[in-house]
Amino acid sequence: MKILEAKGIKKRFGGVIALSDANLVCQKGRITGLLGANGSGKSTMSKIITGVYNSDAGEIIYNGNSVKYKNPIEAKNDGIAMVFQNLSLVADLTVWQNIVLGGEKKKKLFLDNTIAKDTAKEITDQLLPGLDTRKMVYQLHPGEMQIVEIAKAISTNPKLLILDEPTAALEQAQVKSLFKYMKKLAEQGVAIIFTSHRLWEVMEICDDVTIFRNGANVAFMDFDKDGRDADKIVGFITGGVQTAAVERDRNSKSNESVFKVTNLNYENILKDISFDLKKGEILGVGGLAGQGQHELMLALAGNYSNVTGDVEIKGEPIKLTKPSTAIRNSILLVPGDRQLEGLFLKHSVYSNVIFPKLGLGRKGQPFITPQRKYRKECEEVVDVLSIKTHTIDMPVQTLSGGNQQKVVVGKWLPFDINVLLLADPAKGVDVGAKRDLYEYIVKQVKEKNMSVILYASDTEELIEYCDRLMIMYEGKIVATLEDDDITEDKIVAASLRVGEEEHLEAGR
Amino acid sequence: MFIAIAILQKNFFAMKSIVRNFNAFIPLILLTMGQAIVILSGGLDLSAGTALSLFTCVLTMVMKKGVPVTGFYALLITLGVAFIVGIINGIGIGYLRIPPVIVTFATSYMWLGAALFIRPTPGGESVDWFKAFYNFGSITGVSPALEAFGKVIPPSLILLIIGCILWFIVSKTRTGRYIYAVGSNNESAYVSGINTAKVQMQACILNSLFIFLAALFFVGQNQSGDARLGDPLTLRAVAAAVVGGIALTGGKGNVYLALIGALILSFVNKIIFFADIPYAFQTLVSGVIIIVAIASSQAYSLYSQRASLKESKLS
Repeated sequence: MKILEAKGIKKRFGGVIALSDANLVCQKGRITGLLGANGSGKSTMSKIITGVYNSDAGEIIYNGNSVKYKNPIEAKNDGIAMVFQNLSLVADLTVWQNIVLGGEKKKKLFLDNTIAKDTAKEITDQLLPGLDTRKMVYQLHPGEMQIVEIAKAISTNPKLLILDEPTAALEQAQVKSLFKYMKKLAEQGVAIIFTSHRLWEVMEICDDVTIFRNGANVAFMDFDKDGRDADKIVGFITGGVQTAAVERDRNSKSNESVFKVTNLNYENILKDISFDLKKGEILGVGGLAGQGQHELMLALAGNYSNVTGDVEIKGEPIKLTKPSTAIRNSILLVPGDRQLEGLFLKHSVYSNVIFPKLGLGRKGQPFITPQRKYRKECEEVVDVLSIKTHTIDMPVQTLSGGNQQKVVVGKWLPFDINVLLLADPAKGVDVGAKRDLYEYIVKQVKEKNMSVILYASDTEELIEYCDRLMIMYEGKIVATLEDDDITEDKIVAASLRVGEEEHLEAGR
Repeated sequence: MFIAIAILQKNFFAMKSIVRNFNAFIPLILLTMGQAIVILSGGLDLSAGTALSLFTCVLTMVMKKGVPVTGFYALLITLGVAFIVGIINGIGIGYLRIPPVIVTFATSYMWLGAALFIRPTPGGESVDWFKAFYNFGSITGVSPALEAFGKVIPPSLILLIIGCILWFIVSKTRTGRYIYAVGSNNESAYVSGINTAKVQMQACILNSLFIFLAALFFVGQNQSGDARLGDPLTLRAVAAAVVGGIALTGGKGNVYLALIGALILSFVNKIIFFADIPYAFQTLVSGVIIIVAIASSQAYSLYSQRASLKESKLS
């Protein structure tokens, strides 16, 4: 039974066409996958259905009626709930307050907090057992926040649930329990729209998929009838161009040390981190989510003033207590949370690309900014990374996620890089853009002989690109894998500390 | 700090002195609580002081000396004015989405203009029983029992209690929760299905009610209205709210703690007054102390946040 049908949806933002002719059908009790490259219009589509955006043209039929929601409140009242990609949680309220937010029940004049707490507990127990619902949201890890976000959408008892990349911040075990819950909801007759960049997830959970490319739907596949063919799906997403793995000569590294870190400590999050990065090497950082990898990257970029330990760059000792020190020594960070840490969202692509240059201070910096020269450089960067933007004067927030990430990488390009720190650079970036990004970085490593430290939540990326891989567990480096030892099995074994006596708690 | 004042002001612990001290603090406390609510909802009210002046002018315009019943009319009419003031600020901040500083800066001139129109010079009439908002003892023909009661619990304290009860009730309703949500993250609140504009307007109206209570105090005390009365209180209330731990970014803090902030700020002024500092330096010193107080409260909240962060990492 059709629950939702969207026909011929069109939407443009300024000069950029986000959706040219988008169609989507959702069935009761089925999980529909929404696939496509970044900027293909998946998020826009979801937001139009829930009334966050208004469409320029087209029709949405929900439960047999033509609807056009002006805001998310109307959609919610009709039973359409959405889990947002950029979290919609309020950091200063507790978990249970967030879960019932907007749908609080009343007991006479006052709020009924007992029911609210029970509802919250009941849902989170199934998704993430052991989560304390009395915690404030700003105290949670990104993965836990994502779970709360999902719980919040579910708490409204929706008939149509839209999940926009819910798994990007989750680790394997959390994804599994989410899928179990999704299947249960589908059995109860809830229609679900599911977006993800991880193909295996879509293959596992979805009943059918709709594939978007450049703002229009290019294919619909019913897995029951057409079978589950991953290659075919990838073909539709990229438009026929097959994703070829980047071939890498793993023996090209030299023995010249570029970046040497000894006994790095940060509060009780990082403990005795030591490593020696060689020239032309890609050093990976892996392990379970939230074991201090993110903090390590930030510490190396000089974000924490109270780190202890010895750091040497090309033999010279430096103090990594300020970001500007790191940048002056050409240790450059591409942060994972681009919107929070990497970009001035409201500024143009051009300003974002040249800010690091201005931040470097007087040295080699003319008193008056040479606009024309920098604009040319910026256009080259946009060209090289094939950033999809109308002009370089467009605000960065109008670009899609993948293109935003390219801008973050792009702003370091004009520099002479010693060490490039990549903190989950492909988070929320689609297959095609991910390949572009890594291909470019690998090329730079070879040409300029620069060194890279890569943290990725996706193990496949680590296997494919790293020369050496450090596994972190509770702030310590517990294993270092090299060359042929970098395999899925060995990474998982090291991450979970298989064979160690330490006992792993459930839900960790 | 209390000790310092007790030493400087010899009769500090005398009952009369305590009552007088509290009386002097009440208006700032009420304005601070109102201001705290607006700041929590992500706004800021620069028109609080002139709104206060306007209310005193309206009250004293309606009342006729010697006709007790006009006092009730005055209460009702001014309450209506308070609602209108809140609604206008709320429309600007919530519905038109103009930055709160700009909206309330502009409206502060509207209220001032209206107040000056009603009462170009301080003055006006008030009914006798209005003194009850300040001191039972000053009303002619009041029963001795009530007068004695007023010595234990000053009437101005009753105004404060009304204010606290008002916020207590609101904080238990959806509006109370939503004020925090909207102030903390407007967009998140919006996509959660909250009518953010309405919540911001409700916060403005609540603030207006607190200002109204402060106006009752002033008219009870002075028996007159003054268009220039409230001006200096506006920014002091903002500073007091920040001292009390209300984050100017919105969504963080506790209205009752803001009350403590107002107390601290009031005591600071008391110390300076009694410390025999030359008058020319008094304002300068109070400015410095406000900065120190705010800086230390920021440092404390930063510290406690880090501590809780550590705790969550450990567990």
